[in-house]
Order: sequence, then structure tokens, then C-alpha cells
Amino acid sequence: MNLKFIKTDLYLSIRSWLRSKGTVFWTILFPILLILIFGAIFSGQDDIEYNLAVQNFDETDLSSQFISIMEESTFFNITTVNKNFEMADYMQENDFKIGLQIPDDFGETIQRYFVDNNVSVNITYFTDPTEQTTGPIVQSIISGMLNEYNNIITNSHNVVGMDHESILGEEFDFIDFFVPGMIGFTIMTSMVYGSIERNTKFRKDGILRKLLTMPVTRYEWIFSKMLFMMFLSFISTFVILVFGILVWGLSIQLNIFFFIIIIATSFMFSGLGMLIGRFVRDPETADMAGGAITFPMMFLAGTFFPLDQMGAELQVIAQFLPLYYVNEALRNAVIYNDIEKTFFFMGFVIAFAVIFFTLGVVFTKWKED
Amino acid sequence: MVEKKVKCPQCGNIITSSGIPGEVVPVTCPECGKKGKVTFEKTGSSENVAIEAINLKKVYGDLAAVDSISFNVKKGEVFAFLGPNGAGKTTTVEMIESIRTPTEGTIKILGNDISKYFDKVKDKIGILPQEFLSFERFTVRETLVYYASLYKNKADIDEIIDMMDLKDQENKLYMNLSGGLKQRVGVAISLVNDPDIVFLDEPSTGLDPKARREVWEVIANLRNKGKTIFLTTHYMEEAEYLADRIVIIHKGKIIAEGALEELISNYGEENILRIKNCKSKDIISILKDNDFETLSEGNGDIAIKIKYKEQILEVLSLLKHECVDYSTIDIRRSNLEEIFLKLTGAKLREAS
Repeated sequence: MNLKFIKTDLYLSIRSWLRSKGTVFWTILFPILLILIFGAIFSGQDDIEYNLAVQNFDETDLSSQFISIMEESTFFNITTVNKNFEMADYMQENDFKIGLQIPDDFGETIQRYFVDNNVSVNITYFTDPTEQTTGPIVQSIISGMLNEYNNIITNSHNVVGMDHESILGEEFDFIDFFVPGMIGFTIMTSMVYGSIERNTKFRKDGILRKLLTMPVTRYEWIFSKMLFMMFLSFISTFVILVFGILVWGLSIQLNIFFFIIIIATSFMFSGLGMLIGRFVRDPETADMAGGAITFPMMFLAGTFFPLDQMGAELQVIAQFLPLYYVNEALRNAVIYNDIEKTFFFMGFVIAFAVIFFTLGVVFTKWKED
Repeated sequence: MVEKKVKCPQCGNIITSSGIPGEVVPVTCPECGKKGKVTFEKTGSSENVAIEAINLKKVYGDLAAVDSISFNVKKGEVFAFLGPNGAGKTTTVEMIESIRTPTEGTIKILGNDISKYFDKVKDKIGILPQEFLSFERFTVRETLVYYASLYKNKADIDEIIDMMDLKDQENKLYMNLSGGLKQRVGVAISLVNDPDIVFLDEPSTGLDPKARREVWEVIANLRNKGKTIFLTTHYMEEAEYLADRIVIIHKGKIIAEGALEELISNYGEENILRIKNCKSKDIISILKDNDFETLSEGNGDIAIKIKYKEQILEVLSLLKHECVDYSTIDIRRSNLEEIFLKLTGAKLREAS
């Protein structure tokens, strides 16, 4: 092993990387953008407030009381609609997606209930049918509130209730669950594309042909390049963690397994990139092939969206994707702190790393036909 | 078996003969019947031989890119492999550099069979691959340090920078260099291990005339340092300017081999004296009466074959004596382009 060459290669590769301001910028900015954008999406889930239009035809205090209960909840920002407006027209003109209409016999019916238990009254829920997510969510919130309101009126109480507890413990938020997937995804893209560049551009430029005639083995050269690529992996990971902690109060437990998984993941995807670069020799085509492999994996391996939100078939497909095991291994190692599952998924990551990297090295050819 | 073409000294006819290296084969000219002998140079190992290629063949499917060629390169010489694009030059040099595996044949570098002992000769050779580009964001000095770190025995980087006239460029990034400077750095990289043999595959292709000249000066400088240089090129001027010996390759076969003067003497035409815009109508018959072979080229231009130098003075005397008016006179000797045309029926540039 020519340690002097490996040291020179690593040192000059880092210097060369630092000279490319654009590459440095994107290597650091890309994970920052990811953590900020997705962090904003997932961290703000508890604070969602819906704009609700309410038209009240009832003149009793009971309807005002009901509206006050809704206002006091953190779910709604209520706008009162004048009785003279047509509710549907008003909502369309003023861009409301959800609305509530309280009939004029609302209070009267409630008062009659105390004399005749068989009476009832319905409020009307208006939704925009194109808004498929908000409509059903708000409907279930309002239903829950109506149930509570009915209990108050009828002076009854819930016999069976529900307590909520996070399986991750009090200190974890959704962002903590999301970050490991983002780390895996970032390493995957930088490793695959880095390897593709080494195996296509350097071949085209004659660098691989030249190295073939020099006293260096493929193994030494690939190993020295891997050191540099791992340096990039740790930079990206570090950036994600620092911004996650500073901006979103990320709380994960770093341990030895985390570093083993990062290193194994780097080798795994570097090997995959080598295989792509070996069989698709044109640099532009190889980049596209890299995208064709990494892009679907990003969505299908539970990186940004929990697997249980996907169909059963897609969940089966995920079991065959290396990134799935990276995501699960990282989550179990740094979030769930489940040693048994960490070993299980990490075992797959290491096995994939050995297989892909070995195949990559074996199939990488410097010789021409 | 090696093929060799020779020119009949009596009638000028080109005769193709076959033999094995070291053999002397008797031949008879089919045109004039003159008998002679053709010597096939021995390619066997000797102290003076840097590279030997014996019956080298490379086949792709049905196509023989290199078709059983043999040659040797002597130590300290500039050996040019000249031919059009697709002739088999790069395939040949890449087989010698062990980048490609020959279908058949043997290659020895400094006496070592490279199919078995290429690792032994890696320290002794330096290579500039065709269309080579190095790492974009390394400086010139860093590039040389990088490649030098691969070798146990390395040359002094400062010396190489001085020799290649790169002192002013040493801290510039490779990506910011001109094409000519990149090629100079490429040659400099091939010297980081102070090699005995330097392979330069089309070192001046794609460069402007000035940059090409600069690369030629660098190569001439290397020859003066005693390096053996294996040069592939499709520029006849490059081979004429730099090479001690030239091999012309066409469609995978060697069609001529020797020093420039030998090639011209063996395959070239006589020198041609060309009179432009000659006013006299009688001059052609006067020249013929004086045993000159003339070729009328129209518009008053006349070409005269010159077999020996004294004939030039004779023509000039005749023109003066007959008071012939003309615009210019030039004398041109055969070059590699004409030799290639004669041997293949195609122009070197057209074939490229």
C-alpha cells in the first residue's frame, strides 16, 4: 500500500474541492436546504390553523357559545359571514376552503331538547371538493367538537377516552424521525454521482489509462478516493445535524453504530456508482442512469414519507432497496435506540456494502478492449 | 512473417516482399527483371533495442486493426509511427503500453516481455495518452507532485518545470491553461519518474501551429536529453521535423520504414523544378532536346524532373540563353505526403 500516494491524493482532492466554490457551496447548501424545507414541513404539523368561514343565522347565546368553543381551540381562525351573503358564493369569492353554517333554529332546538329529548338540529359544513386533505381533517375536528358540545348539553361524559403517548418518548419530534432518511439520501447521491464521475470523466480524459501504466493498483486508487468521498459524506452529515439541532432542536443519540452505518453506506453507494460507470461509459448518460436509480429509491425507501403511507406492493418493493436498510438502521441506531433492530438493519447495510463495493472494484476496468 | 516494400533501383517500380526478421530474401523486379535482395531487420533482443514488437496483431470481430506488424525502436532515438486516423497507431502504442491486450504477438520493453513483466518496466516508461486531460483544479506543480508520488524513484520536479519552460505557469490551475500548455504539462507528467522511454500519442493534435511548434521543441529537447521517444502522429511535418526513424502504417499494416532520407530515396520521386508563368512556347521542346523530362502543367507552368543537382544550373542557363521570361522558379523534393500517396493511392490528410 503506497501510503504516500494515498496521503497526497486525499490532501490534493480536498484542496481541489475547496477551490471549486460552486461545489463547496452546493455540498453544504444542499443538505441545509433539505433540513430547512422538510424541517419546516414536518415540524409545523402541530401548529396548523385552518381559516374557517362561519355564518350564524341563530340569534341565541348558545350558537355564540359554540363558536367561542371553536375559537378557543387552536385549530381555527374564524371569519364571521354576514347573513345576507350566499355562503357558497362568499367562500368562492373570498378563497375559503371550509365553512360552517348555523341554522336559525340552533338555539331554539337545544332549548326544546330539555323538554323533548327527540329533537335535533344540523349545522351545515361547506367544503371545496378540490381540497381533498383539509376538508376531511377539519370535518373530523368539528365532529369531535360537536360530540363534546353534545356532552355538555346532555350533561353526560365520555366513559371511554384516549390518552396519547409517543412511542419515541417525550423528547422526539417528527423531524428526528425524518433526519436519518435525509442523511442516507444525501450520502447516496454524493457517492453515486462521485463514483460515476471517477469512472466516466476520468476514463474519457485518459487519466485511468495513464494510471494503468503507473505503479498504482486499482485497489489503492479506489481506496484513496473512498477516503475523500467519506470526507464529503461526513461534511454533509455534520451540516444536517448542526442545522437540525440549531434550527429545529433536533435530539438524536450519536453512537458508534451511527458512524459504522455512515461508512458502510458510503462504500455501498460508491460501489453502486462504480457499477453504473462501468457499464454506461458516456458521462452524461451515466449521470442520467444514476438519477434513474437514485430518484425512485429516494421515494420508495421511506426517506421522506413513512412506508406505512404507501401501498402494500410498494412496501414490498422497499424491502429490496438498499436505502431502506440505511434509513431503518440509522433510525434504530440514533432514535429508537433499539440495539437488536440496529444490528439487524446494519447487517444488511454492511452486506450490501460488501457486495456492491466488491462488484464495483472487480468490474471496474482500466484496460481498454 | 513481415511484409516490406522496396523500390527497384533500375525502373523505380515498388516491389512487395515477405520475410521473417533477420532474413535476406532474393527478389526480382516484375517490370524490368532486375534481381536484388531485401533485408528484413532483425528484431531480436539486443542491448541497443528499447522496444521490440513481433508479429503484433489486434483483431476486433472481423477487423484486424493491427495486422501482424513487427518493428523495433532503438535506444535514444525518436521513433515516429505515422499514419492517418484509424490506421492502427493508437491501438499499437496502447498494446505496447499494456492498455490493450494483443490478440497475437510479443512485445518487449528493455528486454522484458510485457505480458509477464510489465510491472518491472512501469518505472522505466512515461506516457502521454491520446487526448489526455489531467485534474482540472490541481495547479501545474501539484499535478506533477501528485503523479510523482506514485513512484519510488522520481525526477526533480523543479528540473522538469524548468525543462518544460513551465516556471511561470507552475501555480496556475490546470483548467486555466491553454491547449498547448496542457500538452506541455502532459509531457511533463510523463517525465516525473525520469523514464528511459517516453510514449507520446498524438501530442500536437488539435493545437494551433504556434502551440504545435512549442510541443515539438519540447520533444526535441527530450531527445537531446537522451530519452527514447515513441511518437505517434498523423502530421507528416511532425515526423519529418522530429523523427530519427519513421514507420508508416496504413490499415493496420506497416507499409514503409526507415529514416526520412531512406524513405525519400526508396519511395520518393526525383526533385521537381517548377517554372511558373513561362512566356516561351518553345522552351519545352528545347528542354526535351537537352534530355530533360518535362511535364507541362498548363497556363505556362512547366515541371521538370531533376535527377542530379547540376541539372538545376543547366535549366537556368538554358532559360537565360533563350531569354525566356517567367514569374517564379521553385524546386521541391519529395515528402512523406507524396510517399504515402505513392504507396497507398490516398493522400495522408484525406485518409485521416
